[in-house]
Amino acid sequence: MAAGELEGGKPLSWLLNALAQDTFHGYPGITEELLRSQLYPEVPPEEFRPFLAKMRGILKSIASADMDFNQLEAFLTAQTKKQGGITSDQAAVISKFWKSHKTKIRESLMNQSRWNSGLRGLSWRVDGKSQSRHSAQIHTPVAIIELELGKYGQESEFLCLEFDEVKVNQILKTLSEVEESISTLISQPN
Amino acid sequence: MEASSEPPLDAKSDVTNQLVDFQWKLGMAVSSDTCRSLKYPYVAVMLKVADHSGQVKTKCFEMTIPQFQNFYRQFKEIAAVIETV
Repeated sequence: MAAGELEGGKPLSWLLNALAQDTFHGYPGITEELLRSQLYPEVPPEEFRPFLAKMRGILKSIASADMDFNQLEAFLTAQTKKQGGITSDQAAVISKFWKSHKTKIRESLMNQSRWNSGLRGLSWRVDGKSQSRHSAQIHTPVAIIELELGKYGQESEFLCLEFDEVKVNQILKTLSEVEESISTLISQPN
Repeated sequence: MEASSEPPLDAKSDVTNQLVDFQWKLGMAVSSDTCRSLKYPYVAVMLKVADHSGQVKTKCFEMTIPQFQNFYRQFKEIAAVIETV
């Protein structure tokens, strides 16, 4: 039983990182065999497989519940007391990992759950348009706005919009209504 | 009609559209199959845009709250600039 090699420490830290890349951030090509050969070469595959499954399951549980640090400690302590659970060394490594990667994992989960396009970027310029052919000079400034939109895992789509000053102010008014809604939502108790 | 001189924005789209309608909603993502505790608010926007031929298309997208605040801030900047031109 290669229990010694499956203790905490650096390999587990790297394993959790790789699992996060695979499970949450969509990084391709992270196979069980790759992980075993790179991180736990002395552990036979039939022992590594359940160990990997256990770590992945724990990581998924923690991320799914978006555990705060109290919940995390309680959860990991329970795991150390379980039959076939984890060691306290492993618990410490997992705890440290979640604390430093929580925000990024959460962001990936949010992105994955958004099936609409997201706003990836916004660029703009303001042109001063002049019309001079058969009429007096008319100076109508125009804002050109380019929105970069994209669905999760897909290439960006660019949408170019033209606004005159009136339109810009109309949009601004609408956006202030949105902001008011957000303030109302945030100020409400959960 | 003359356009302005060389612009700093090099738009990746060849077609500029007119905004016909701007609809929005403020939503809260609660839970999903991959995450039982999502709990994040988002702004969903539905734009109706018309190209030069008058054809109207619908474009939908979502923003997180920080993204929306940046979006709003940029529009305020645009308004400030367009006022002075």
